[in-house]
Amino acid sequence: MAENTFDAIVVGSGISGGWAAKELCDKGLKVLLLERGRDVVHLKDYPTATKEPWEFAHRGTMPPAVLKENPVVARCYAFGESTEHFFVKDTEHPYIQEKPFDWIRGYQVGGKSLLWARQVQRWSKFDFDAPRRDGYATPWPIGYDDMAKWYSHVEKFAGISGNKDGLENLPDGEFLPPWDMNVLEKHIVAQLKTHYPDRPAVIGRCAHLTQPADIHLQQGRGQCQARSLCERGCPFGGYFSSNASTIPWAQKSGNLTLKTDSVVHSIIYDDKQKKATGVKVVDAKTKQTTEYSARIIFVNAACLNTNLILLNSKSDRFPNGLGNDNGLLGKFICFHNYRGSMSATYEGFNEFVTYGRRPTMIIMPSFRNVRKQEMPFKRGYLVAFTANRNQGTGYDGIGAELKDSQTQPGSWSVFMMMQGETIPKETNHVRLSTDKKDAWGIPQLITSVDYDENDELVLKDFLEQGKEMLEKAGCKNIYVNDSKQAPGLDIHEMGGVRMGKDPKTSMLNKWNQFHNCPNVFVTDGACMTSTGTQNPSLTFMAITARAANYAADEFKKRNL
Amino acid sequence: MNRRDLLKMVAAATGGVVIGGEFFLAGCTNPEAKIGIGVDFTESDIAFLDEVAETIFPKTATPGAKDAKVGQFMTVMVKDCYDEKDQKAFRAGMTSLDEACKAKHGHSFMKASPEHRKELLVALDKERGEYQKTKKSEDPNHYFQYFKQLTIMGFFTSKEGREGATNYKPVPGKYDGDVDYKKGDKVLTGLN
Repeated sequence: MAENTFDAIVVGSGISGGWAAKELCDKGLKVLLLERGRDVVHLKDYPTATKEPWEFAHRGTMPPAVLKENPVVARCYAFGESTEHFFVKDTEHPYIQEKPFDWIRGYQVGGKSLLWARQVQRWSKFDFDAPRRDGYATPWPIGYDDMAKWYSHVEKFAGISGNKDGLENLPDGEFLPPWDMNVLEKHIVAQLKTHYPDRPAVIGRCAHLTQPADIHLQQGRGQCQARSLCERGCPFGGYFSSNASTIPWAQKSGNLTLKTDSVVHSIIYDDKQKKATGVKVVDAKTKQTTEYSARIIFVNAACLNTNLILLNSKSDRFPNGLGNDNGLLGKFICFHNYRGSMSATYEGFNEFVTYGRRPTMIIMPSFRNVRKQEMPFKRGYLVAFTANRNQGTGYDGIGAELKDSQTQPGSWSVFMMMQGETIPKETNHVRLSTDKKDAWGIPQLITSVDYDENDELVLKDFLEQGKEMLEKAGCKNIYVNDSKQAPGLDIHEMGGVRMGKDPKTSMLNKWNQFHNCPNVFVTDGACMTSTGTQNPSLTFMAITARAANYAADEFKKRNL
Repeated sequence: MNRRDLLKMVAAATGGVVIGGEFFLAGCTNPEAKIGIGVDFTESDIAFLDEVAETIFPKTATPGAKDAKVGQFMTVMVKDCYDEKDQKAFRAGMTSLDEACKAKHGHSFMKASPEHRKELLVALDKERGEYQKTKKSEDPNHYFQYFKQLTIMGFFTSKEGREGATNYKPVPGKYDGDVDYKKGDKVLTGLN
């Protein structure tokens, strides 16, 4: 094969790109995996993984000078002295906020799979059917029955901890042992069961190896040690990331070529051959351009960058961006509503403490509009909560007594948050700047995304219901909060290249191929037709594995 | 440890907003807040802060603030992480504390006995507590709030403090949600 020619190109090495590369390599295709950032090799490139708090200049807090220079990324809960090297510097990657939007990015091999919160839930049949049933977005061209075996496929390889709860709106998966609830959480869950029998709360499902299976040992990964320092990269491979799991596996096949510092400028569409033939890459350091060819292209640059690349892929056939006959590319951007949260105290259970740092919370699947549209708002929200003992019994005094009281466990605190589905709208969109370019000569992205009235009603319902539930469970001093954060800080942006049945109202078919350019696939967040209330990454992985296996089969049949 | 957990710990411990908290937790919400670089501490400043911290968290059967070099830590945080307003207040607070000692005991803090030091800080802490309860949110904090907060933060994020005074496990190995506790048991530091 010519040096720059491959069977398949995958753009982006994050949580979905890593999966595309692994599946395609497993099926015997020669794959070029392009990453715009630097390499991060598992174990070798985790500089802070085992650092103690006192080994950081400011014990983990970021000096305001750094925060001021990086106002967007500074808002991310995971950004700190121990993780800053896995986030972009805002000044190096400008974008234009037509409306406030916090675009959180990590540009390195593994992308945000190094930083993600590792919480995973399967969509249910209700979630896939919701757009059709309730008349919003456009109907999904796939349903839960199409996805179930692919959820199983990715869960087994990634390693998912969870409990088989038997809930219709939260399907069980292939699980490693679940984490424990603590005594107060068990009490709250029991109280909720009495007062709200239709709102079961269960231990969170997360991508952590509570008990590694053989496949995980084969990956060179070991048991999660409950350190909860995951965002630094894990020396035990205890959680799922491209770096610890899919990329080394793909490399072992001998079929993978990984090129870092490779910024994809556009997909090359050949008007004569009537198909995409490759990608144009700008070297991140030298700014030189190179073209790579392949019969199949997977675009997994993460939602907004995938939209950007496709909008920038202009040809005679597609003057408005690849596949963009209907003008909908970049439109129907959606996200998760994270604005509501609350805290509370609880008196009791003083004879108990916890040991270890659990990487998941208690989750309550959405209980609104599940079987039919019945609220004054569309769709609903997942609830997650956790209970912890504070450090220190009191703050009064000076001296030995204060030191002693500060090393004792204090009162219990409960924290509760929401993850609300948002309704995709054509007006929420991204588009390319016509005059501003980035350092690689690529047009800057304009983000024009906002909350709507439905989001405000969903938020209001969560604040009311959450407070009432905690009260019924015996919690006190409930303090509710609207963070008023901009969209984007959820880091669950989706859409812009949505799947659908009709080429007039969607970009991708049921196999994630462009309706009008079948050798280009999009399987990251950009492909999502609706957002659901679930943490999305597991669905990205399953959609990717399904589409990649289809693409490989089509490749072998010479249909692509 | 991430910022939010650190802040949770300190805020819970100090019963209020962490000074400089807007920097510690969120992005800088006030672009006008001046981030000072113009505060310097001498060796004798650090020695003074060590003694203040040691009075707040003395060596007992477990290490004290001086073992954990909290004085030095305070100067790093004030220099790098406080805005100009809080830096000025901190420096002024050092002077106020010393003046209060002279007024109460007739000599400077450094010349005072451990008993006199403790007596002074107990009084200042009481004053701090009452002031913080009734002050308006836009009013400045009582200067003693800085020393107390930074002592607690500095001690529990130090090797001596964390390893010496808590049941810290860098690699817990598991999570157990149901551990019997009796008063006096050392516990795992925060971040549960």
